[in-house]
Amino acid sequence: MTIIEKIFARAAGRDVKPGEYIWAKLNLVAMRDFGGPNVIQEYQNKFGEQPVFDKGKVAITFDLHIPARDEKVAVNQKFLREFAARQGVKLFDIDTGVGQHILFESGLAKPWDIIVGTDSHMNLLGGVGAAGFGMGTTDIAGAMYKGELYFRVPPTIKIEVTGVLKKLVTAKDIILFLLKTLKTDGALNRAVEFSGPTIDHLNLAERITMASMVTEMSGDIGFIQPNDEILDYIKARTEEKVETIGPDSDAAYEEIYEFKVDDLQPQIACPHSPDNVKDVKDIAKTKVDQVFIGSCTNGRFEDLNIAAQILKGNKIKPGIRLIVVPTTMEVAKKSLKQGLYDIFINAGAVVTNPGCALCTTGHPGILAPGEVMVSTSNRNFVGKLGKGAKVFLASPATAAATALTGVITDPREV
Amino acid sequence: MIIKGKVWCFGDDIDTDQIYPGKYLPITDKQEMTLHAMEGAPGGEEFMNNVEPGDIVVAGKNFGCGSSREHAIVAIHGIGVSLVIARSFARIFHRNAVNTGLPIILFDGTGEIKQGDRLEVNIENGRISNLSQNKVYQGIAIAPLEMEIMKAGGLLDYLKKKD
Ligand code: SF4
Repeated sequence: MTIIEKIFARAAGRDVKPGEYIWAKLNLVAMRDFGGPNVIQEYQNKFGEQPVFDKGKVAITFDLHIPARDEKVAVNQKFLREFAARQGVKLFDIDTGVGQHILFESGLAKPWDIIVGTDSHMNLLGGVGAAGFGMGTTDIAGAMYKGELYFRVPPTIKIEVTGVLKKLVTAKDIILFLLKTLKTDGALNRAVEFSGPTIDHLNLAERITMASMVTEMSGDIGFIQPNDEILDYIKARTEEKVETIGPDSDAAYEEIYEFKVDDLQPQIACPHSPDNVKDVKDIAKTKVDQVFIGSCTNGRFEDLNIAAQILKGNKIKPGIRLIVVPTTMEVAKKSLKQGLYDIFINAGAVVTNPGCALCTTGHPGILAPGEVMVSTSNRNFVGKLGKGAKVFLASPATAAATALTGVITDPREV
Repeated sequence: MIIKGKVWCFGDDIDTDQIYPGKYLPITDKQEMTLHAMEGAPGGEEFMNNVEPGDIVVAGKNFGCGSSREHAIVAIHGIGVSLVIARSFARIFHRNAVNTGLPIILFDGTGEIKQGDRLEVNIENGRISNLSQNKVYQGIAIAPLEMEIMKAGGLLDYLKKKD
C-alpha cells in the first residue's frame, strides 16, 4: 500500500485498495466562519442539540471575514460562538489566523491523521503529513455527528523532485511549474505524494506551499512524509501520541513523475488559471497596481522573511499598493520580533491582521475593474478578486520584487 | 430512476465561483441562493432567466472545481436543475451532489449533446437517451454506496438510519 492507502487502512481498520469505498474514522473535524454557519444549521435541523461525536475533535476557526466585515458576518460569527460554547468545542476566534495553520500550530492536526474541514485547501495539512480533505457543509455536519465518513480510496500519483534550487527560486516556483505540466485536472480523483531529495529538505512553510496547491491540480491529498524537523514541531505541541506510519516498499503508484529543478526559473501563473504558468522573465514589465503577500499558501514567517529581505531599506514604487498579511498570529508575533514589520511599513506596505485576506473577495483590498495584482495566494479564477480584475500568482520573492519596481519582476533582478 | 429534461450546455472547468460567486457566500437562506445559480458562468444570465424545473446541465471536464461551497449545489438544485452530466466532476462537488441528493452522471462524450436537446436519463445504469438527436449514450452512474446515500435522501438521513 502507498502511504495514503495505509492512512486509510488504519482509519478503516482493514486493508484497502484504490478505487474502493470505505468508512474511515476521523481524527478531527473543522469548520470556519464561512461555511461553518451552514454546517451548524444542517446539524441542528437533523440532530437538534445532540452532542457532537467528540468535542475534543471538533474545531471552529475564524479566518475569512475577520474582524466581521458586515452585519451578516457578525451574526454568523455570533451563531458559531454560541454553538461552540453550548457544545464545548474549541473555537479559535478572530485573533488567531488561517484555520488549517491553527490546527497544526495548536497540535490538533498530527501526521497521518485524517482531517476534514470546510475549506477547499484542507489538503495543505499534507505539509505536516496529515490527510486533509476539504468538504461541503453536509459532509462536515455528518462528520461532526458520527466521527466517520465514507471515502473513495484514491490511487496515488508520486511526484519525485530532485535537484538544488537556484537562489530566490522557491517551493512556490516548483508547484507552479508542476501545475503548468500537470494542469488543473492533472490529479483529479488522485492523491499526490511528493518525494525525492529536494522535497525531503523543504522546511514546514515550503511543504505547506507545495501541499496547498494540490487543490489547484484537483488532487484529493497532497502528501509529504514528515521528516524529523516536522515531527519535532508537532510533538512539541501535542500531548497525544504520534504514531508513525511508514510506506510499503512495494507500494503501487498509478503514475510516477520525475522533475529536476536545478535550472528552474521563477514561475508565475497568469490570469485566469493557476496552470497558465510562464517564466517570470517572459512576462516581465507587465504593469501592476497591487501586490499581496500572504494566504494559507505563502504567508508563514519564512515567506514573509524572503519578501522582507528584498524590501529591506527600499521603498515600493509610488502608486503601487503592497498588502502583507501574516497567516497566523504566531507568525505575526515572530515577524514583529524579528523586525519584519518595520521593514514592511518603512517600504510603504500595509500590514493587516492574520487571516485569509486577499485570497478571495469579501476582504478589504479587492481590485477595481481592469486592475492587476500579483498575489502569493493559490487561485486566480475570473472574478475572484473583483469583476474584471487580473490576478497573477507568484512566490513571495517575485511579489516583493514586483512591488519595488511596479512591474512584474524576476526577484534576482532587483 | 428516470430523469427527463432539456439541456443547458456549459464548458470545461466551470468552477464554483462561476456556479455561485463568492460575494454571495454569507447568504444562509437556501431560497435566496437560487437567485444566483450559474451567475458567473458564460451563458449564466440566459440560464438564470430561462431555466425551467427539470432541466439538465451538461458540462465538460472538472465541473464544480474550486472551493468547497455547497451553495453551488443548493443554488442549481434549488432553481430546478434535475441532473448534471459532465465529463468529470471535482471531488468536493461530486460528494456535495451525492450528499444532498442532486443526481449526477459521468459521461465522456458530453460534446455530442447540444444546448436545448431533450434527454431521458436512467441515473442508476447511466444510460442517456438523446431524444432530439435520436441517439443513445452510455454514461457512468455513481457508485452503489453513493446511490444508497442519495436514495436515503442524502448523507445526514443515511447516517441517522445507520445508527
Ligand atoms: S487563504 Fe484562501 S484558500 Fe487558504 S484557507 Fe483562506 S480562503 Fe482558503
